[in-house]
Amino acid sequence: MQGIDTVLHTTQELIAIIDLLIQALSVPFVQRALIGALLIAVVASTSGTFLVFRGLSFMTSGVAHAALGGAALGLFLQHSGLVPWFDPILGALLFSVFVALVTGYAGETGMTQKMEVAVGVSFALSMSIAVFLMYYIPPTQVPQIWGYLIGDILLLDNFDIVLLAVTAIVLVLITLIFNKEFIYVSVDMEGSIAHGMNARAYHYLMLVTSALAIALATKAVGAILVYAIMVAPAAAASELIKSIRGIFIAVFVIALVSELMGLVASFTVSASPSAIAGILAALSYVVAMQIKRRRDRVSIDLDQLPQHDEEATLVLGEALDTSAHEGHDH
Amino acid sequence: MEQQFLFEVKDLAVKYPNGELALYNVNFSIESPTFMAIVGPNGSGKSTLLKTSLGLIKPVRGQVKVLGYDSVRESKRIRKLVRYVPQRDRIGLSVPLKVKDIVLMSRLLKKPPPRFASSKDKEIARESLKRVNMADLWDRPFPELSGGQRQRVLVARALAGDGPILMLDEPLAGTDHESQDMIVEALGDYRNEHEVSIVMVTHDLNPIHTLVQDVLLLKNTVVGVGTPCDMMDMELLEKVYGPTARVIEYAGHRYCVTHDSGVDRHH
Ligand SMILES: Nc1ncnc2c1ncn2[C@@H]1O[C@H](COP(=O)(O)OP(=O)(O)OP(=O)(O)O)[C@@H](O)[C@H]1O
Ligand SMILES: [Mg+2]
Repeated sequence: MQGIDTVLHTTQELIAIIDLLIQALSVPFVQRALIGALLIAVVASTSGTFLVFRGLSFMTSGVAHAALGGAALGLFLQHSGLVPWFDPILGALLFSVFVALVTGYAGETGMTQKMEVAVGVSFALSMSIAVFLMYYIPPTQVPQIWGYLIGDILLLDNFDIVLLAVTAIVLVLITLIFNKEFIYVSVDMEGSIAHGMNARAYHYLMLVTSALAIALATKAVGAILVYAIMVAPAAAASELIKSIRGIFIAVFVIALVSELMGLVASFTVSASPSAIAGILAALSYVVAMQIKRRRDRVSIDLDQLPQHDEEATLVLGEALDTSAHEGHDH
Repeated sequence: MEQQFLFEVKDLAVKYPNGELALYNVNFSIESPTFMAIVGPNGSGKSTLLKTSLGLIKPVRGQVKVLGYDSVRESKRIRKLVRYVPQRDRIGLSVPLKVKDIVLMSRLLKKPPPRFASSKDKEIARESLKRVNMADLWDRPFPELSGGQRQRVLVARALAGDGPILMLDEPLAGTDHESQDMIVEALGDYRNEHEVSIVMVTHDLNPIHTLVQDVLLLKNTVVGVGTPCDMMDMELLEKVYGPTARVIEYAGHRYCVTHDSGVDRHH
């Protein structure tokens, strides 16, 4: 009797949750959150992937925190009456582009180490500016700055959605037109210039558009989620997937699924959707590393075989072949 | 017909921002077309010379002319003529580009965006890969190849391009004998079939000395320039490689022995 009771009880609970979710879908802020999640996933699969290719994933955190510093400066200018029209988002965009330019300048020769230092320094600078200015900003406005850091995808307003949508569309267009250039810059900057491509221009185009996208995404959902969603899925996908198109798709899927699961979870347990999405995205990287390690171990074992016995490997190779075919049949 | 010079270098000096004087007092000229080798130990400025000639680095003194074009003022012209392959370690491996994409680069880079590969481009790329026996790896991710295989693909990239000058920075580095022979043969054949000049940087003259017409011995300045025969000279080699370099005369052949090269038989 008791068993049936529990089953009934859990079923009822489940139905209640599904009911809640369906109800939630009709609530405007949930709709905005879903659209926002989709758009952030687009940003991750374009900008995030190129930054990982370029070995610059750490630029994301530099730029996201620069946006916070810039927003603090914007609020300060606005409320001190120095420049009343100065919207915080302007400051965020300015600072982000500044970080991208400094990074780009340090990296013009293609040296990633120098870029890392540049990002580190501008990161420290913009966080210091943010914390410094906080004392000069009316206390009622301070949460707005923290919003840039922690953010909340459930608090998006219509303007955020419009900004994010425009960003995502522009990013997709630029990616469609210039993906070869961005890839060539990552693979062989020197050779690209030597063959007459204006690699420097594409280098900056990629960094500046990424910076703008990151800043806008940061305003919408906060630096922490942006960092997790922009970096971890792209890193995970590029560990495992051996085709560029495959990586773009995988990043989009991982990012979107993490965000959606974050949202769903936030309705059932009381937790921030960003935090859960961030954790899931980070986990995807850990899982990818594990899979890759296991794969590497297998391939090393196979590589070592021929030294021992040519015939054995042949047989083994055939065995693997047939088992692979069988695997398809089932 | 007026004689064309592949390189005309006058009083060239190149300094890096960190103050390193990589090249000084460099003067030489090489007639075109040719198969040329730039030889010297690590840090002797070989790569720097190539990059300067492409306008990637600006000289602090003097000038380089490539087929008559000044490397600073007319770098655009030069870059249309040259197919360049940097040292292998300059190629990033974080992007899973396929072998075919790497080879197609030299053709697509000379087109305007969106740089689509035509079927002719693909055919030429495939032909070039065949020349270095890499056509089977057409669809493989480039970062997964071995060092020597990558080197061969990069040579194919140069062969697939257009333009009368091939510049290859150490295409033989890290390759075994088989790969070396393959690369050298591919380059030699290509030069016989096409009106091109080939410039290659190498530590080791031996695998290519029968093909090469001009040799530039470099140690931050010109130590010697001439035919491979002239460069097999004890005094010159000692200047470049130090007192361990040897030229051995044996049975009418000259052999050159340096730490970098092992033994070189010379006719
Ligand atoms: N980007 C750079 N910044 C500063 N110094 C450099 C740079 N590149 C090269 N150098 C210096 O210039 C000198 C010549 O370097 P270069 O790379 O031209 O030598 P190389 O002959 O190609 O050597 P290798 O055989 O190792 O490729 C070296 O002393 C090197 O330290
Ligand atoms: Mg070099």
